Amino acid sequence: MADASAARPSADLTPDEQAVIRPPLVLNQRKMGWIANYVSSIVEDKTPVWWWACLVPCLLLTGVLGFCIVYLISTGVGVWGNNHPVGWAWDITNFVFWIGIGHAGTLISAILFLTRQKWRTSINRAAEAMTLFAVICAAIYPGLHVGRVWMAWFLAPVPNANGIWQNFRSPLLWDVFAVSTYFTVSVLFWYTGLIPDLATLRDRAKTKIKKFFYGTLALGWRGGNRQWRHYEMAYLLLAGLSTPLVLSVHSVVSFDFATSVIPGWHTTIFPPYFVAGAIFGGFAMVLTIMIPACAIYKPLHDLVTVSHVDKMCKVIVFTGSIVGYAYIMELFMAWYSANPFEKAAFWYRAFGPFWWAYWSMMFCNVIAPQIFWFKYFRTHLVWVWIICQFPNMGMWYERFVIIATTLSRDFTPSAWAQFHPTWVDIWMFIGTFGLFFTLFLIFIRFLPMICMFEVKAVLPEADPHHGENHG
Amino acid sequence: MNIAGDPQSKAYGLAAEFDSASQLFHAAERLRDAGYKKFDVFSPFPIHGMDDAMGLKRSLLGKIIFIGGLTGFLTAVCLTFIPSSILYPLIVMGKPTNLYTVPAFFPILFELTILLSAFTAVFGMFIMNGLPRLNHPMFNWDRFQRVSDDKFFCVIEAKDPKFTERAAKDLLESLGGQNITKVHED
Amino acid sequence: MEGVGFNAYPLRTTAALRFRDGVAIRITGDTYPLARTQEARSMHGRDLFREGTLERYEDDPKFAGKMGMDGHIPPNISLYTHPELTSKEQWGMAVDLNTCMGCNACVVACQAENNVPVVGKEQVRKNRDMAWIRIDRYFAGEPEDPEMLAQPVMCQHCENAPCETVCPVNATVHSEDGLNLMAYNRCIGTRYCANNCPWKVRRFNYFDYNARPTTELYWGPLAKKGMADSLKMSKNPNVTVRMRGVMEKCTFCIQRIEEAKISRLVEAGPTDKNKVPVREFKVACQQACPSDSLVFGNINDPESRVARLRNGDRGYVMLKYLNTAPRVTYLARIKNPNPKIPGADQVGQANGAPHGAGHGEEPAEAHGAEAAQGRPAGHDEKTHSAEEVHH
Repeated sequence: MADASAARPSADLTPDEQAVIRPPLVLNQRKMGWIANYVSSIVEDKTPVWWWACLVPCLLLTGVLGFCIVYLISTGVGVWGNNHPVGWAWDITNFVFWIGIGHAGTLISAILFLTRQKWRTSINRAAEAMTLFAVICAAIYPGLHVGRVWMAWFLAPVPNANGIWQNFRSPLLWDVFAVSTYFTVSVLFWYTGLIPDLATLRDRAKTKIKKFFYGTLALGWRGGNRQWRHYEMAYLLLAGLSTPLVLSVHSVVSFDFATSVIPGWHTTIFPPYFVAGAIFGGFAMVLTIMIPACAIYKPLHDLVTVSHVDKMCKVIVFTGSIVGYAYIMELFMAWYSANPFEKAAFWYRAFGPFWWAYWSMMFCNVIAPQIFWFKYFRTHLVWVWIICQFPNMGMWYERFVIIATTLSRDFTPSAWAQFHPTWVDIWMFIGTFGLFFTLFLIFIRFLPMICMFEVKAVLPEADPHHGENHG
Repeated sequence: MNIAGDPQSKAYGLAAEFDSASQLFHAAERLRDAGYKKFDVFSPFPIHGMDDAMGLKRSLLGKIIFIGGLTGFLTAVCLTFIPSSILYPLIVMGKPTNLYTVPAFFPILFELTILLSAFTAVFGMFIMNGLPRLNHPMFNWDRFQRVSDDKFFCVIEAKDPKFTERAAKDLLESLGGQNITKVHED
Repeated sequence: MEGVGFNAYPLRTTAALRFRDGVAIRITGDTYPLARTQEARSMHGRDLFREGTLERYEDDPKFAGKMGMDGHIPPNISLYTHPELTSKEQWGMAVDLNTCMGCNACVVACQAENNVPVVGKEQVRKNRDMAWIRIDRYFAGEPEDPEMLAQPVMCQHCENAPCETVCPVNATVHSEDGLNLMAYNRCIGTRYCANNCPWKVRRFNYFDYNARPTTELYWGPLAKKGMADSLKMSKNPNVTVRMRGVMEKCTFCIQRIEEAKISRLVEAGPTDKNKVPVREFKVACQQACPSDSLVFGNINDPESRVARLRNGDRGYVMLKYLNTAPRVTYLARIKNPNPKIPGADQVGQANGAPHGAGHGEEPAEAHGAEAAQGRPAGHDEKTHSAEEVHH
């Protein structure tokens, strides 16, 4: 166990042993009490000025989003730039973009839990919260991109006057089930993980309102082992369920394209490629929000250490390389298949009217993150933050290339047309960022953004055999 | 000895405070070996191996979740197959309306399985833990607030057949328990 | 109407009623936007429109069905049996590219018959025109002396329609007589069907074209609501007027089909309707076509003109390898240029040179049999009498 070596002073270790020591997960030998105290104090202290300074513009952008939504629903989908043949453009690009970002949170919570990566403990709560907010931003689009939003309930399998049911073979309906399952399970998983920390806040609460609020949400959690026993089983199985869920949800989203006949869409590479891309973009977004948060609350650097950031950057370069491989494979298969439509589709992606989006995608997703091979760039937080903006942008370009570029030129040349976004497209997308950051700011103000009990559990003194001699 | 709660009400048990996880772990082992059945240990985080130390079996929740998942799967099969093939079969892209169409429903079958399993996990866990339960005798002890912070606790319930106040107090002291307190129900 | 077109009458005076001279053209440097419905000029090597010379036709009458990828498609082996289409009449269409001259009368007729909305110049420039049938215009040959290819394209009513399977609410399904149906009241407008259509024949109502003026589409609820009476009167009462947010496309004039089927029921009275044939009728585009290029009818009736054309020589379907099995068969154009006319060697060569000679020796039957037909409609002649009456 990694913590065992903390029991022996490092001067006693051989160079080989020193080389494999994992960096401590909590720096400065912080104790449990300090962790609970500091993380709770972020929530308990008076609202800082910077929080208001960030919230107000985010709320304004959310208002812009609201206005665009009202305009869209009252006037028609034509306020966007969509046309014939480009029936989907920014709307579905943004949907897939946000859903993809959400997947990193579930990966950190679930997959890293199953693989016993203890370093997940200080980032998983914020990452899961990011998942929920990203899915909320994503879910705006499938709900509102339809031509008749007031009839979107037709998607729900409920008995109706026409006796007609949904087409369960349609990928869009699979999407409905997948995304709603994903959101529900993510909320349940996140809330379950919150309960012991809510108990901490309840026990520390000074005012009646806070005691009531946290006390109700904590459900009376006592921390007894008889409770932990069931809790751990539930958490383990939720993690085990969330893992195939996150893989399946983005695969189902990719099926929106993969199961169609359009050249450039009809390909089996999409499910793994989309999932890898989602994790890639999501980790970049986690770092985008955690690095400033830790810069504001500097003691958090003892919990979200450089080692954590280093590992996340490694995940980014790994998944980015998978995505790069997928791009190359698509090009190879377009040529190897000798399907003239497939070849043409990729030719137009690289050299057609949207060539700038394709090459931005290539640079941002494949080339820029390769800099994370160098340890300097993985361990200096300012660099990490700057470089993480490239996957953020690149993943948007990727979805745009897949959707709008492909639709604008498919089988029948007479139907080919350009796509141009309108101000509603653009401001609605910017507005979703406003919504996302608004929700995130509210989250860090009222809920502990580090999972206190899990971080305590990975301290060396949490081991029941800590301090004993090993036989 | 300290008193927590209303001394007029029934005694809930005898509780002690510990400083470290390893202390608590060994305390649990000794309590289990001493033959106590109704006792519990409290910690800010789950302690690795504590279930065995307390002599508890694996949680039944796993099997219940499996049943929940199976329910989800069967629900999904009925939900997709019955409308598509029995209630209102339609010709859609020439796809069949007999059993061969079920593979097309696979994503929905999968998602509903996971959804119902997750519901079973969370609500099953709540039920098996007796949550929400906002009131509990241990909350009568004000030092117990530290359980969510950095302290560890142990309680031997009065309901346990082997419980006597004297023996329990001696045992807890010998295990290193501090602030031994008699906790009452109300 | 304001803002549309230019007034040329200042050029025409009483003194110069028929023609005038002494006019000069000056380049102003301004630009003026024009609207067109098609940007691409070439077929880019895709054999959507097929033609050949008389020589090629005489060499192999069924050349059109074997052109390009169609000559290499292996027989499709389905994993499952398709549900049977139970109606005795199965509708289909043949489009004769030989006689089509691209006059667009069919487009106008379809618009009139089916209440296809006018979207205005701005929306046409954004590629949102709503024509259910369009004439695809491709150029082939030398840029200095191109051939023009005109191909009417409407919903192909594919037997394995890619649009049907992706609609989440079952707004587009297949009828028993082979039509791809569009249920406007069920459509919520996800536009996935339009994305999945290889020919992009599906049209989405991006705005309330029928309820708001085309100059005020972006004003939303602040625009004037309602249609002018004269416009209302121009609508065909047999066809729904679609609201915004729904998808629409060629329906093979289902209102005319149903009218014919209803009169057949009336005529049959208490007797078995299947003993009475559906009376002859024309769909709107067919009715307007001056050269009889569009032929609609019952493909199950071997005597009908459409069946004879489909089973004839020149027939092919577009994008056959996708196995969507369209019900619209195109008949390749045959050119017979006078060799003395300059550029005659470029005429009839839109699809490039024929395949290499060795290819012709391959099992011609397999190729030929695949040529003009999609899947045979699921109805057998011999089961007529045993069949129940379906409605």
